[in-house]
Amino acid sequence: MARKFDFDPEDEEFFSMVGSFGVPKFDNEMHGGIPRGFTLIAFTDTGSGSELFAKQFTSPAEESENTLYVSTNEGQAEIVRIFQKYSWPMDINVRTIGEEYNSTVLERELLASRYRLEGFQLADIQRLAQTRFVDETNQDYLTEVTNEIMALGPYFRAVVDSLDFFLQREDPARVVAMVRMLQAHAQLHRGLLLISVSTNGLDPVIKQELSSIADMVLSFKVRTIGTDFETSMIVSKFRNAPENLKILVFRVTPEEGITPETVERIA
Amino acid sequence: MQPAAVYTRDRCVTGIHGLDEILRGGIPYGSTVLAAGTCGSGKTTLGMEFLVRGALAGEACAHFTATEPSVKLLENIRQYAFFDMNMVDSGLINVFDMDVLYSWLGLEKASFELDDVHALIKAIVDIVNTIGVTRLVIDSVTTLCYKIKSEQLIRDFLFTLGKKLATLGCTTILISEITSATENAHWSSFGVEEAIADGIIVMGDVERMGHLLRFLQVVKMRGTAHSRAKHAIELTPLGVMLTPMLKWGAQSDKTSRWGS
Repeated sequence: MARKFDFDPEDEEFFSMVGSFGVPKFDNEMHGGIPRGFTLIAFTDTGSGSELFAKQFTSPAEESENTLYVSTNEGQAEIVRIFQKYSWPMDINVRTIGEEYNSTVLERELLASRYRLEGFQLADIQRLAQTRFVDETNQDYLTEVTNEIMALGPYFRAVVDSLDFFLQREDPARVVAMVRMLQAHAQLHRGLLLISVSTNGLDPVIKQELSSIADMVLSFKVRTIGTDFETSMIVSKFRNAPENLKILVFRVTPEEGITPETVERIA
Repeated sequence: MQPAAVYTRDRCVTGIHGLDEILRGGIPYGSTVLAAGTCGSGKTTLGMEFLVRGALAGEACAHFTATEPSVKLLENIRQYAFFDMNMVDSGLINVFDMDVLYSWLGLEKASFELDDVHALIKAIVDIVNTIGVTRLVIDSVTTLCYKIKSEQLIRDFLFTLGKKLATLGCTTILISEITSATENAHWSSFGVEEAIADGIIVMGDVERMGHLLRFLQVVKMRGTAHSRAKHAIELTPLGVMLTPMLKWGAQSDKTSRWGS
């Protein structure tokens, strides 16, 4: 029998059945927003504005302590700068995996290169002779992030930007299993989960698996028209609401961030 | 005509009871000696006593442990009366965990390539050179060589390491794990260690009247005459004690008179 979770009636009223994209015009196009419990997978092109969208997605932050933004590419300072620029809530939880990876794993690799190239100094040797155990800094970021999202309560909002970091370092089957687990968690707790993954070099099999797990599939595209760039978001899957499949051309404004311009319904 | 003066190489006096007599005064300085033995034959204890005797004489010593964590090694060895933990604390005996060294050098991998082997040699030589190590034990070279997949690379590793350590005047014992120390046995796991080493000391067990006796035999030692007889080993609280297994076993003046 499927697990059941009892929601507080007050919460049900407050959160309603749909949540915002963080972009009001997108909400209108999707008949109010995203159904609670949905997992969104965003396949992204470089320069298509997906990173900004990922941040904007957290901006409704219905409960800031229940909102998590996981970035694998950007540092805290850059994220703070963007949130300040658009006046989005700053009290959400932010985890910068890329920054952590740089300060632990990469720093250690750099030090190893130095030892290999320049050799040991007396102080290094003294420290080496006193070190009895290997420093276990090989963190399992995939498990950590999964656990962190699984720990979020009902009506959570979480973003993982992007899955590339994990797909490059872990067994893809394990990463897909993590997404499957998170999707189930989001569904059970009526959370909203956005996971981005770059299309560059993505294995078609993995793409297919992720698409089948997702409740909603978005594709962020960029193309050149004359001397201009045109960015668009294609909604190619919307579980149980195919009428919402659309191509939304958007631009980025200093006031609103991502703002749709034209909408084309997918026939 | 005056007889030519006999040249004898300077010796690293092991200080191990009976071994210096077998070696006519000790291991020639700068030699790389393979101490090959079956499990439980006393290789680690022999290696550690070699360092302790050096440290007592004021020499800087280093021990690289690859088969067991240094914490465990030191806990086991401190039950021997000859061992004093202060020698480790004061830096006379420097004990290095190979796992830690691998980690520091970015060598946490299943197999080593040429670059990795060179990095390892450089690190060991750096340590020996910087702190002036004159006695070194690697326990065990077998564990280390398991990570080097090519026989040629193992040969290069041991040859280059031995050459560089000899240049620095460091006498080295490479401990090697073998499965049999009796007839037709190889003295090394990979077959190349024994050819490159300056000396080979074999340790194992022999059954005598229902008892399993530990024995030690010096098979080869470049630069010195030595006994090739088997000697019984006793691991006593005071250290390793070697006694001839046969009455003609040892060749020191005293024992040969006793045996003749």
